Amino acid sequence: MKVVGARLPRYDGIGHVTGRTRYVDDVRVPGMLWAKALRSPVDHAGIRVDTSAAARIRGVHAVVTHEDVPRNVYGHLEALGIPGDEPLFAEDVVRYKGQPIALVAAEDEDLAAEAVEAIRVDYDERPALFDIRKAADTDAPKVHHWGNWYPHFEGEMDRRQIRKGDVDRAFDQADVIVSGVYRPAAIEHCPIEPQTGLAVPEPDGRLTIYSVTQALYFSMGVVAAHLEWPLNKLKFVGGTVGGGFGGKVDTAADTPAALAALKSGRPVKWRWTREEELLCSSTRAPWHMEIADAVTSDGWILGRRMLTLHDSGAYARFSPYGLTKHSFHHTGAYTIPNLHFDGYVVFTNRVPTTAMRGFGVTGLSFATELHVSRIANVLGIDPFELRLKNANRIGDTSPNRIALPDPSTVPTILDIADALGHELPAEYRTMTRDRRDGELLPEHLVAQLASTEEAH
Amino acid sequence: MKHRGRGISAIEYPTGMNQNGDPSQVWIKLKPDGRVDVFSGTSDIGNGSKTIQTQIVAETLGVPYDWITYDNSNTDSSPLDTGTFASRATFVAGNAVLKAAKAAREKVLEIASKELEIDASDLDVVDGEVVAKGAPSKSISVPDVAVAATWTYGELLTGVGAHLNPFATITDPETGEVDLPPHAAISYASCAAEVEVDDETGEVRVERLWQCFDVGRAINPLLVEGQIEGGAMMGLGLAVLEECYPYYPGVDHRGPEFGAYLAPGIKGMPKVDTLIIENPSAGGPYGAKGISEMANNPQPPAIAAAVYDAVGVWITQLPITPERILRALERKERGEGEPRREGKLVSFDEELSVNTVAAEGSVFQYSLPT
Repeated sequence: MKVVGARLPRYDGIGHVTGRTRYVDDVRVPGMLWAKALRSPVDHAGIRVDTSAAARIRGVHAVVTHEDVPRNVYGHLEALGIPGDEPLFAEDVVRYKGQPIALVAAEDEDLAAEAVEAIRVDYDERPALFDIRKAADTDAPKVHHWGNWYPHFEGEMDRRQIRKGDVDRAFDQADVIVSGVYRPAAIEHCPIEPQTGLAVPEPDGRLTIYSVTQALYFSMGVVAAHLEWPLNKLKFVGGTVGGGFGGKVDTAADTPAALAALKSGRPVKWRWTREEELLCSSTRAPWHMEIADAVTSDGWILGRRMLTLHDSGAYARFSPYGLTKHSFHHTGAYTIPNLHFDGYVVFTNRVPTTAMRGFGVTGLSFATELHVSRIANVLGIDPFELRLKNANRIGDTSPNRIALPDPSTVPTILDIADALGHELPAEYRTMTRDRRDGELLPEHLVAQLASTEEAH
Repeated sequence: MKHRGRGISAIEYPTGMNQNGDPSQVWIKLKPDGRVDVFSGTSDIGNGSKTIQTQIVAETLGVPYDWITYDNSNTDSSPLDTGTFASRATFVAGNAVLKAAKAAREKVLEIASKELEIDASDLDVVDGEVVAKGAPSKSISVPDVAVAATWTYGELLTGVGAHLNPFATITDPETGEVDLPPHAAISYASCAAEVEVDDETGEVRVERLWQCFDVGRAINPLLVEGQIEGGAMMGLGLAVLEECYPYYPGVDHRGPEFGAYLAPGIKGMPKVDTLIIENPSAGGPYGAKGISEMANNPQPPAIAAAVYDAVGVWITQLPITPERILRALERKERGEGEPRREGKLVSFDEELSVNTVAAEGSVFQYSLPT
């Protein structure tokens, strides 16, 4: 028997394709109420909220605002030292269009929507910031009173830095410096199943939460933190998710549904519409990346200077984590010994951005790889050969000085060259992932490779 | 007129959370008839983790795949898993599953050893049978072991496992130096794209993709190919179709329905050639690495390079829309859009730079030595 390596069909595939898998929105519980949210219609404003008229509507069982949340501001990554900055429900300011201000639980969705209309809000509109490149201008609108970019890297730094080798010397020695700017777009996760949460008060005082989360214990921790409850008062039910791609780490619907269930004493389901999913759920971040590489005319990349601005939207969420990961990988699959990287998490008045498939690196791979293609073009060198020459090899070090034990840059490139029938000179065709030697150990890599030999 | 072009890319991507420190825990019990219940906290978001983790249990415990029930349905029965993200469900959670299955196997062997009166180290579990190494006639089925455990010895056949790669601390915030590897493994991939670009309409058609991924070990080749090809479709969307803000950085005309937000459909899927390299990781279950996220990373740069090869313009803002192609071609025709060359500097895209857009004195200024 060999099960590992077998082409077995998906464990739960038949249920998915025959519509029999049970997702959160398929769950119906007796006495269940339906929720709708009041969301900010403006990008940036001071607000005053009056929910009294909505609460008086017959069939409305709970109107939840920030006043109902034991801990309204909780950061999803506080355990990693990223302080909370985002309220579950807006208090006196809204910082993006679509930000939740209140949640109404009522007998049906139409009634809940009607009650949302009955909530009175005064909006005192403020100028909004959208272009991250202008966030540090002296006349830029202020997204947060303390500033427009995240100031807490390693506690107190306002940017993520990488410094390695002697970048000034590399740029002095270079024959050519190639500089470019790369801007991948904000992307919606587009799960088939929108954000949905169902909270059910149990007879023993616990809450059961049917969740679309990608991370049951993580989301349970988020709800417990907002409620200031121990974990054993909560039971999360889920594990089968109708598409996530990173957006369902946000725990978007669970806590508001839980609060409405507690306030009404009834089960409450909050399911986002496709319109809310597209307009109000978090997105993949747009990134702004500027890269300048110091190269020799025969195709060695001696050094890289890079500036990254990460559009976080109105709040930090996971962005500082994403930027740190980005910085760790900003040389891509190549060995560049001299580095100067600065990255900022910048706030704007748009929907907060979050994790998405390839978090921190997808846009980076676009930038660094297109840049390498440009370098090959500028130098008139075959793009396969330029890549193979600078490819990570065993014992080379990452931007944060970790020796690479077994990189596969060379074999994957050679396989693609084979598949295309691309001719390569023998010295490239026979290249391996092994430690650099001979002409592949140029002077600019000797010192760093020697330091990893010692470590072995 | 239509022009063809090709471009390539080579990428790497980490397995597990950046800086690690992301635990997974699993427990396994055997029913009195030898069938197996696995309790894991890993959400299956379509990534196939239920299948992969069940395969790991079947292989490690030595029982048929269809004897295993996999339960990730709730937090009362399943222990902690940090979550299904960071390409960690096969490697990190898979290691917890592997350890739990090994522990359950030990327990099965312990009971079987008593029943067969053969030392546990001389026994193996193969396809649901505990057999003596070198003497396959001496055997007891796993169901009979479970019966004996339950009714003869008063024991529960169970196993627990947990996995945690230690957190890598940034020891020097000035340089970004870390004290430990900040990833569980690194995977690698290369990609080639062939495109056809219409210089009258600006339309880019991606005709073909070749992709090669080092997956460490394909626990399930069918599913890993599915990840790689599904990822190609998302990469195609990133490259030529999708954007939340058509006038980014402005927020106008953000679309509230799929008619306004263009994601790729199956008809737009090019022919994809998938090549798999199995270069086993040091610490992953059966040598596996995580490749699920990176599967949408190599296509956009390969497609953008292919567009240059076809019509001679570098599009560095995604997606590569017909409007962006046509505007770039117009600039090229007017003799604009060439990089600024000064000394040894070749500087592209200066109109997009913070140095052009930000006000003087901004801390976001970008210094370029020449």
